[in-house]
Amino acid sequence: MTTFSSPREPSVSKTIMTVDDSPSMRMLLRVALTDLGYSVVEAEDGIHALETIEGANPDLLITDINMPRMDGFGLIEELRGQGCTSLPILVLTTESSDEKKQRARDAGATGWIVKPFHPEKLAAAIRRVLH
Amino acid sequence: MSALTARDGLRRITVAQGETRVSDDVDVVLTTVLGSCVAACFYDPVARVGGINHYLLADGHASDEASMQRYGVYAMEVLINAMLAMGAGRHRLKARIFGGATMRQGFRDIGGANIAFARTFLRNERIALVGEDVGGTGARRVEFRPGVGVARCRVVTEALRAPPVVHRPPPPPAAVGDVEFF
Repeated sequence: MTTFSSPREPSVSKTIMTVDDSPSMRMLLRVALTDLGYSVVEAEDGIHALETIEGANPDLLITDINMPRMDGFGLIEELRGQGCTSLPILVLTTESSDEKKQRARDAGATGWIVKPFHPEKLAAAIRRVLH
Repeated sequence: MSALTARDGLRRITVAQGETRVSDDVDVVLTTVLGSCVAACFYDPVARVGGINHYLLADGHASDEASMQRYGVYAMEVLINAMLAMGAGRHRLKARIFGGATMRQGFRDIGGANIAFARTFLRNERIALVGEDVGGTGARRVEFRPGVGVARCRVVTEALRAPPVVHRPPPPPAAVGDVEFF
């Protein structure tokens, strides 16, 4: 797990965990989220996220769906099954089928964002669940 | 995309800017024309699945959603996910990259940035780069057979001066970047 701090250092910094197997996508999210004033911790798949989420104690989790070892559905189901019910979880994926959205909804996701993400829409979605 | 069957019996499908196409059909040829854009061709020799994308810019901060679809990082992810969905293994992917020419001297080197992005992306993602035909000043036509993993690239600068007019519907307002709360 790597932690990146916001350059803005807001008075009360919120932490967002991003889970994506693509280093390039994690980098893109890191830039966007730190620009918005958030601290970012990263995990490269569902297993890695489960291993590190307790120490990271994020205020929001943003996860991809298609990942090795444990995908986004598995991660959400595992977290909700462990009693982690108050953590907002946004799915960020290139997928857009109703079937997969329903599966995410059933697993306990808070919302669904289609890649490529629009920075302003991402910011609005985060504000809605965090503030 | 448009498709036509040529005399060789192969079905040619044109991949436009910002598009991605994946197939395991040995009779399909995916073809695209590149200037400063870059196309990445991925192939899994075990699953015998291949795919190609075509991106205009390495990365950026466009304000409109249609433009964002043209960025390399998204094009790469869409291609990889589409291949995995067809049974490809990420660790088996082999990549070839084409394009990235300098089409106008004196302007920002978009082609060079596109090439650099592709190489960096593949290195970071640990995807083997097994071939490339990039740079220079000439436009290229790439023909890729996704079912067999064979790619051919040739310079077509002259042909580009009078490109065929292709009318395409605007990209669907789709979903891109949309947020839905449950």
